Order: sequence, then C-alpha cells, then structure tokens
Amino acid sequence: MKSFLAEVTESVRLYGDTHALWLRSPDHLASAVPGQFLMAYAGESYDPLLGRAFSIFRVRRGPGGPEFGVLFDVVGRGTDWLSRRREGDQVRLVGPLGRGFEPRERVQKMLLVGGGIGVAPLIWLADSLVAEGREVTMVLGGRTEAQIFPAALLPSEVELVVTTEDGSLGETGRVTAPFERLLPWCDQAFACGPDPMFEALYRVARDAGSNKPIQGLLEARMACGLGICYSCAVFPRKGGVRLVCTDGPMFDLRDLYA
Amino acid sequence: MDLTVNLAPHHKTELRLRNPIMTASGTFSNGLELAKYHDVDALGAIVSKGTTLRPRRGNATPRTAETAAGMLNSIGFQNIGVSALIKTIAPVWERWDVPAIVNIMGETLDEYGTLAARLEGVPGVAGLEVNVSCPNVEAGGLEFGQVPEQAAAVVREVAAHSTLPMLVKLTPSVSDIRPIAMAVEAAGAQALTVTNTIPAMAIDVRTRRPVLSTGSGGLSGPAVKPIAMRNVYLASSVVDIPVVASGGAMTGLDVVEFVMAGATAVQVGTATFLDPAAPWSILAEFEAWCAAEGVTCVDEIRGVARRRD
Repeated sequence: MKSFLAEVTESVRLYGDTHALWLRSPDHLASAVPGQFLMAYAGESYDPLLGRAFSIFRVRRGPGGPEFGVLFDVVGRGTDWLSRRREGDQVRLVGPLGRGFEPRERVQKMLLVGGGIGVAPLIWLADSLVAEGREVTMVLGGRTEAQIFPAALLPSEVELVVTTEDGSLGETGRVTAPFERLLPWCDQAFACGPDPMFEALYRVARDAGSNKPIQGLLEARMACGLGICYSCAVFPRKGGVRLVCTDGPMFDLRDLYA
Repeated sequence: MDLTVNLAPHHKTELRLRNPIMTASGTFSNGLELAKYHDVDALGAIVSKGTTLRPRRGNATPRTAETAAGMLNSIGFQNIGVSALIKTIAPVWERWDVPAIVNIMGETLDEYGTLAARLEGVPGVAGLEVNVSCPNVEAGGLEFGQVPEQAAAVVREVAAHSTLPMLVKLTPSVSDIRPIAMAVEAAGAQALTVTNTIPAMAIDVRTRRPVLSTGSGGLSGPAVKPIAMRNVYLASSVVDIPVVASGGAMTGLDVVEFVMAGATAVQVGTATFLDPAAPWSILAEFEAWCAAEGVTCVDEIRGVARRRD
C-alpha cells in the first residue's frame, strides 16, 4: 500500500455510460491481485474531500510500461471528475488495498458472476484465470443491454452468459437463473455486484445443497479504505462486525449470510 | 531545533511528546494498521479508537457522508472493548516508543471510573483522553461535556481511579467553551483536547431521508478548522494547562496556526483518511516551517496570536 500519483494514459467511454480510465502503474502495484482495490482522489482541492474505491479492472502493457485500468459509471462529482481526465493528467491514488479473490490451486472450472458495474474486478480475474489455462464461464447481468460489458472485449476463451432485466440482450431476468444452472458445473465461484445479488446467490447455493465456495467482492461506502475510519461495516448474520476494506472486500458468502 | 512538548508538566507522570503531532481518536484505529507502513515512533503521540467498557458493534450503515470540504461520521463507537484492548493492543504499544493514549467513553460516571481503573498500571498505556461528548443517561441526556459541573465530575471520577495523565476532549456543542475548560482544569485534568466533531446532518434528496443511518453525525475535516481555531484560542486564554487542537488540520501550516492560537500539540484526524502518510507529512511540513522561520521550540510561537502588543 502506497500513496502515489499516476499519469492517465487513456480515458475512454467503453460502453453505455461506463468509463475506463487507464493509468501508468507504479512498480509496487505489481504485487496486486484481482479483487484488490485503490482509493482514487478526485479534484485538486478539499472538495470533494474523500477518495473513491475502485477495484482494478484490468492490467496491460502500454508503450511506456505497465498500466492498470479502473472501470466506473458516472454517479456523482468524484466519478464525473475522473471521467474528464485526459492523457497526461495526474490522479492521486492509494493502494493496492484489501483482500482480493483467492482462486484455489489445482481446480479448473471457474464461474464468475457480475451484476452491473460489479463486472469490473471480474474482468481482470477472468484474464488471469484464462492465462493460467483454466476454464472460465462468466454470467453478466444488468437492467439493460447498455450495462453489459461487451463480449468482444473479453478473452475469447471465456464462455459468456448474459441476462438483462428488460430482455434487450441475452436471457430475460437476473443472474440467479444461469448461476443455478452452472453451479453444479463449476469448482469455484466468484461474484461481484449489489448486496441483494450476493444474498440471492447464497440462497441459490444453499437451497441446491451446494458446498462450493462462493467468493463475493463487496462494495461499501468508505472514507479511507485503510481500516481506520470504520465506515464500511458489514454485519454477518451470525453476529459480529467486519470491515469491507481490510477484512474484505472478498468474503466467502457463507461467512456473511449463513 | 527541539520540538518536544509536555502535555502533563505538573503531573507526577509527565507526558512528553517528541513533537506536537498526534493522531486523533477514531482516525487511526489503534495504530496497528498504519504502523505496518509508517514509523509510528516518529510521531508525538497516538490516540486510540474510542474505547468502552464492553465491545460495541457500532451503528448501522451508512456511517459516513461526504460534505463540502468535510465529512460526517456516526460510527457508533465500534470498538473491541477495554479488556481486548488491554490484552491484544497494549502489549504492541509497549514495544513502541511513541506514547499511546487511550480514548475512553462511558455512559455513566461509574463507567468512566471503571475504565480508568482497568487501564491503571497497564504497560504500554501512557495516558487517557476522556471523551465527554456522550449523553449522561442518568441526568436527562445532555452530554457530560455540555455542563461544567458534570464534566468536572467525570474528571474527578477518572482521577480517583488513575494516576495516568488525563486529557479531556471537549465538545464544541456549547455556547461558550471557556466555563467548561476552566471547570475541567479545576477538577484536575492535565490537558484539554479542543474539540470533538460538530453535530451536523446531510439529506439524500433521492431517498428524502438523512444520509446517515442515525440521522445526524459529527462534522470533521477542513470545513471545521476555523471553528476549532476559535475554540483553541478561547480555551487556551483561560487555562494554564496545555491545549491540544483537534479539527481539520491538513497541513503543516494548519499546525502552525493552531499553535499560534494557543495549542501545545495538534491532532491529525480526517487528513489521514485522505492520505495514510498525512501525520508524517504534516510533521515534516511543520518542521520545515520552523526551520525556515528560525523557530527552535514550540513555545516560541505558542499563543502568539493572542498577544495584544
């Protein structure tokens, strides 16, 4: 974890209202793993004040060295400012932070489930699982076609299933139906999306009597990302309290909902 | 240059800081998180998360909200409780050089006394910071710190059970901070922390409800600095004990301002959320300013803004 300035190498609206911002990677980011996140600071003043948490959505080798990308929808002042950065601009970040995905060794069939912008960390995970020679099936869901990450931008080895609530692309409905079908196939599952999606996935797995590990990457309101502000509390059903930033953001869904 | 300060100059156990930069309670957890990345021993002192008699899970989320140049928080004193702190945290502090001060909060007078007694003689604990911004459930719900007599009663209760140096963290939610400051000094506090967060609220126009789960929370960050500045100025003009400033310090120059207003030390709080290196960079900026201005000790500039020449 370090505080650093990164130079923007590319800013692009990738699909729908979703932006990708590419930045030059500092050396220390080479240790990051899929599912870890960064705090990005918008603006040059104290307003807006706090960082925004973004998972790393992809890494690549640019002409000037390694780069990392963040993927986001413009939802407020911070993301609006970030969406207007251009090549050569600087953005201050802190990271890498948190506990990322932990794919088991020597298992082959990986199921990745993303809801809305929750697709972001799953792209890098899919890239790295494919690079390791594993089988990857992705289920991506959204309200409508414009929210679905373009298939053409995924590794060709990835098997893709799409659901939209309005039926504009893929199956009509939510990610839970294909998840239920594919759960028996997979060795391990990974998910990122809104909180109700996690609980729905947990229930599907429980009702199917499945014991397979499902790693969920939680999103939460954070002020620091460092484990010191205590904003991002999550309350497991069995009791206690955890912090998304340092205990997670990756949790086994059973640890939260059982 | 010698930037050491003493927060308990007349107490049997002094509280010497190698420099005036402290962390603010609730913005540094118990120190272990950032100690992995930075040298805590370079700081003047650290202050623990608000610690209660029993562990607390804290409030429902949302617990924080961003506001103009500031933030609201309503964490609800999520903490591991004093027993776990003594067992798991204090032994780590004992290995550190930096003085570790435990911020304590009770709901009754008795709880304050019990907390002080539990922390008495615990290796690794260098002092107490008493949070009096908590409703007195036995006396109508006004905060202890809003009534001079009740604030003084807390100080006497803690002093009766503890030989540790005691800072008392005052609330800004009073019409005049001076009577409280004087009452707390007279009751035997070694120093004042000025001040806690300012009660405030933000509304979510989409849900048409307050953003925070509890409705209101405490405002902190650069937005509150001028308010803290005035309270430091006022409090330090009526007491002889050290005043520790807390409220929106983001830079070394902010520290200079607080010292000129009368502060002996300055706590860095919200700034650490924006940059985990903030306490250290603020210290470096303060040292650089002192060097550039030929200031060789904190007392040279302490309270100069109050002088009427």
